[in-house]
Amino acid sequence: MTDPILSAEGVTKTYRVGKREIPVLRGVDFEMQPGEMVALLGASGAGKSTLLHVLGLLDPPTEGRVRFEDQSVSDLPGPKRAKLRHREIGFVFQFYHLIPELTALQNVKLGTMMDQGPLAWLGERKQHDQDARALLDRVGLTERLTHRPDELSGGERQRVAIARALVANPRVILADEPTGNLDSSTSESVLELLFEINRESNIAFLLVTHDEGLAARCDRIVRLRDGVIDA
Amino acid sequence: MYRYFLAIRYVLSRRVNLLGMIGVSLGVWALIVVVAIFSGYLTEVKKRLIGATSDIGATLIPEDTAYVDLAVEIEADPNVAACSPRIVWYGVSYSPDAEPARGNGQLNTNGIPGASDDFIALLGVDPTIEKNVTAMTEWIENVDDPDLRVADASRPLAELDGEPTLVLSTARAKAHGLSRGDRVHVSSGVMHEGRAGEALELVEGWFRVGGCFDSEFAVFDGFHVYAHIDAMRALLGAKSSNKSETWVNEIAIRVKDARETVKTSQRIRRRLNRDLPPFRNPIRVRTAEQANSQEILSIDHQRSLMQLVLYVIMIVAAFLVFATLSMMVTEKTHDIGILTALGATPRGVTFVFLACGLTISITGAVLGVLTGCVSAIYTDAFNTLMKDWFDVDLFPTAIYNLTHVPCELDPVWIATVAGSAIGLGLVVSGIPAWRAGRHDPLESLRNE
Repeated sequence: MTDPILSAEGVTKTYRVGKREIPVLRGVDFEMQPGEMVALLGASGAGKSTLLHVLGLLDPPTEGRVRFEDQSVSDLPGPKRAKLRHREIGFVFQFYHLIPELTALQNVKLGTMMDQGPLAWLGERKQHDQDARALLDRVGLTERLTHRPDELSGGERQRVAIARALVANPRVILADEPTGNLDSSTSESVLELLFEINRESNIAFLLVTHDEGLAARCDRIVRLRDGVIDA
Repeated sequence: MYRYFLAIRYVLSRRVNLLGMIGVSLGVWALIVVVAIFSGYLTEVKKRLIGATSDIGATLIPEDTAYVDLAVEIEADPNVAACSPRIVWYGVSYSPDAEPARGNGQLNTNGIPGASDDFIALLGVDPTIEKNVTAMTEWIENVDDPDLRVADASRPLAELDGEPTLVLSTARAKAHGLSRGDRVHVSSGVMHEGRAGEALELVEGWFRVGGCFDSEFAVFDGFHVYAHIDAMRALLGAKSSNKSETWVNEIAIRVKDARETVKTSQRIRRRLNRDLPPFRNPIRVRTAEQANSQEILSIDHQRSLMQLVLYVIMIVAAFLVFATLSMMVTEKTHDIGILTALGATPRGVTFVFLACGLTISITGAVLGVLTGCVSAIYTDAFNTLMKDWFDVDLFPTAIYNLTHVPCELDPVWIATVAGSAIGLGLVVSGIPAWRAGRHDPLESLRNE
């Protein structure tokens, strides 16, 4: 067993609505190995997305901590968390979340622009362009480079989102119900793509899903119930 | 890099941003064009004022002072090029040969105030000296009408048929139906020391119209009438016993270096009033701008008022930018979530929208400066074109007695206008941009 790449130690998350405090995560301990494919199962409201956001450094835990490799990262200052998120963690969302004004190629290239200034990025423009094209080719969208999101099908949009998540060479991808908005045949092809990427690279995947069948295909299943991991 | 990239994409993809850009351009354009015309007019007025009154004028000269003594003192200043004696007196003219124009006199004088009145400001000069100080000779040569031209431009105020002559503005001559050789009766008054103390006494004399001048300076043309200084002394001097043989009540001074005018006038004032006896008023020495400060200030004030009014356009444009950016931030909450997930910081998100506002205001300012400068430079040509093609006079130059639409582009003003447009854009985009930066990215990632 190698050291975990991403882990949560005693993570709690409580939201305050008016005067009421709503606990969503109640002491979650969790870890992922490099290259591991983990399914996170749970009913609606169990806290799956919240755990994903906490692990992805989008939302700080109320208590406990998140570690990336051997470093505690949840208490880093905002800009450092943003940099780590950009370099090490990729996101795939249920509703794709592409920028509607940009073409498929530009949406993917956007992922290369986050931590470089204009001059540095323009200096490596050709390399970024090649990388983005290669990734879109890898997800089967060679013919759709200049199409905007509203000109693409749901499956194609999700493939663009996957390419965008991969473009910064992350070591972890957090996917929040990546097939939840797709029909069954498109879902299958998108999942096939994710498993293929997982097999070919050493990227760890955390797939949030309701689908027991999909979970069964992963290396490990983690169940979340009322904010606690089911043993 | 994403900040600039997204800002440009956002601005280009929304046509409503064009409104903000056009608004800013319009404000900048108006501020440049209108102020260029006002500044041009102001410069033209100053130029004509100085042309008419010379760079510096000395007034309130005691009657018992000889001009020659004062001239020696003035010409001793290193920056004085020349000085000229003058007698400025006010009176009323009447001509038995006049054929007053029918109808509205203003129409026959191109609207020059005073030209149709009988009231005149008599300007007694020695033309041989005056030409060194003011543009009088040029103005006399400006007249084309053979009935109004001076017979001998080298001796414009020479006697005609044994009588002294007057040289009037063409506007006045036309308003009163006068031409060269016509007789004009001039009446005025002088204070005379009599048995019962000081009293106003009537003085009068006959003159002939020697010809006309055209200074293109309405205020000057309206009232001023040239006469020879000796004729003026003869008209006014006989009644007063204490007047010097060479008395003057004004001295016009031309300087060598115009930048030193104020300092030169101060030096001359000190020099002329050096041995001032007790209880005597000092001789007043003022630059043309100081002497005509009311006229200059009034135009300057109009220009400032216009600037203020036109800035309102810019403020409206700024509100437009604010409204469109606020709308954009509301529409783009999803993008804020995506950007944060991709590694953007709240400051980076703020910058994206700030850059949108800056892009709109910089583009608007650049377009406004370009179109404003081109419009200002070609205003006169455009006005001529409109007059020739459509008989529409957009800038009626005749009202101001101008031959063209004046224009003066001031780089400092252009930079100020462009800078304030950009600054205003920055300020108004700051609020929506700050709101974008504070937006919780998870809210947009959760609520689909």
